Amino acid sequence: MLGGTRMDINVIKNAFPVLLEGSLMTIELTVLSVVFGTVIGIVTALLKLSKNKFMAGIGGFYTWIFRGTPMLLQLFVIYYGLPSVGVNLSPFQGALIGLSLNSGAYMAEIIRGGILSVDKGQFEACKSLGFTFFDTMKRVVLPQTFKIIIPSVGNEFITMLKDTSLVSVIAMEEVMRSAQILYASTFRPLEIFFITACLYLLMTTIFTTVFSYYEKKLSVY
Amino acid sequence: MIETKNLTKKFGSLTVFEGLNVKVKKGEVLVIIGPSGSGKSTFLRCLNHLEVPNGGEVFIEGEKIDAKNKKHMRNTIEKVGMVFQSFNLFHHMTVMQNVIEAPITVKHENREEVLKRAKIIIEKVGLSEKVDDYPSKLSGGQKQRVAIARSLAMRPDIMLFDEPTSSLDPELVGEVLGVMKNLAKEGMTMVVVTHEMGFARDVADRVIFMDGGKIVEEGSPKEFFTNPKEQRTKEFLNKIL
Repeated sequence: MLGGTRMDINVIKNAFPVLLEGSLMTIELTVLSVVFGTVIGIVTALLKLSKNKFMAGIGGFYTWIFRGTPMLLQLFVIYYGLPSVGVNLSPFQGALIGLSLNSGAYMAEIIRGGILSVDKGQFEACKSLGFTFFDTMKRVVLPQTFKIIIPSVGNEFITMLKDTSLVSVIAMEEVMRSAQILYASTFRPLEIFFITACLYLLMTTIFTTVFSYYEKKLSVY
Repeated sequence: MIETKNLTKKFGSLTVFEGLNVKVKKGEVLVIIGPSGSGKSTFLRCLNHLEVPNGGEVFIEGEKIDAKNKKHMRNTIEKVGMVFQSFNLFHHMTVMQNVIEAPITVKHENREEVLKRAKIIIEKVGLSEKVDDYPSKLSGGQKQRVAIARSLAMRPDIMLFDEPTSSLDPELVGEVLGVMKNLAKEGMTMVVVTHEMGFARDVADRVIFMDGGKIVEEGSPKEFFTNPKEQRTKEFLNKIL
C-alpha cells in the first residue's frame, strides 16, 4: 500500500511530459477557436446590427442556438450525431468546429456590444468624410471596438481555455483527456489531477498577463 | 453652390421644419442663428444627408443628393466638409493620422503627397507641434482645429459648421473662430450654425434667424443686427446681446 494519501514523485515525473503535450494541444485548440470565433463573431455582429430583418434573423438564430445549448451537447451532436447524415469528422475537426461555433456566438455578442459602445459621432464623421460602410468599420469603428472589448475577450479566452476540457468526451487528446487516461492506468488521482490543475493555472495566468499587457498598451489613447 | 427646395423634416409626428428654400452662393458665408429646438442644426445636417429629409431636395453644386444612388451620393457629399460640436476626432489616431486618413482611404491619394498637404493644413490651423499627439492629449480648441484640418484635407468646396464652439471653454473659442475667419477670407463657402453673434456680425455675408422651424428673418449682418424687422428677432437679439 505504497503512497496512500502521500504523493509519489515518480508518478509526477512520468506523467508530466504527457500532460505537457496535452497542454500544447489545449493551447492550440483555444487559440484557433477564439481566432475563428472572432471572424464568425464579427460577421454575426454585423448581421445582427443590420437593418435587413432577414440578415439580422440569421445572426440572431445562430447566437440563440449556440448560447442556448450546452457546449457538451453541441460537441456530441457534431462528433457523434453528424455521421448519421454522412458527415464524418476526426476528433480534431469535431473539436475545432464545435469550439469555434460556440466561441463565435459569444464573440458576436461581445463585438456587437463593443460596436454599439463606439460613439455615434465616429460614424457621422466618417459619413461626412465620404467613407463607405466597409471603410468606416475597418478603419475607424472596429479598431476602437477592439480596445473596448479587450477585457471581455480576455474573459472569453480564459473561459474557452478551460472549456476545451470538454472535448475529452469526443476522444480528442488534449490535457484533460490525457489526465483521465493516465489516471485510468496509474490510479493516482491526486498526483495526476494536481499537475493538470497546475498546468491549467499556468496557461490561464500566462494569457491573463498577455491580455493585461495589451490592455495597457492600447490605453495610450 | 447649395440649394434646398421645399425641404421638410419630421421626427415621428413632430415637424421640425417644412418647405424650406435656401440658396447659398459660392464664397458666401451664411450664418444661421436661433433658439434651441428651432431646427437650425437639423437643417444643417440635412445638407450633407446626416439627417434624411422627409420631403424636398438638396442640391450641391447643381447635383441632387439622391439616396438611391449610394456612390453618387457619396461623391456629392465628399464636396461638403463638416465640423461637429463634439469634434468627433478618431480617438485611436494621432493628429496627423486623423488628417490624412480620409484622402487616403476615400480618395486613394498617394500617401506621400497627402502627408505633404496635411503638414501645410495642420500648420495653417496652428498645430504643427501636436502632429503626433492623440486627441485625448489636446484641449477642446485644439481638437476642433484638428477637426477643421481633417475636413479641409478632403478639399471640400463647402464647409458646414454645427455649433463649432458651443462645447468649448470661453478662452478657447477665439482660436477656433480665428481659423474660421481665415477660411472665410480665403473664399470658402460656409454655412455656420452658431450662438457666436460676434462672428455672425464680423464674418457673415448673410444671417438667417430660425425659430420653430421657420425662417423668421434674413438679411446682411448690418441690417440684421442694427435694424431687425421682425418682433421675434428683436426679442431674441435682446435676450442674447
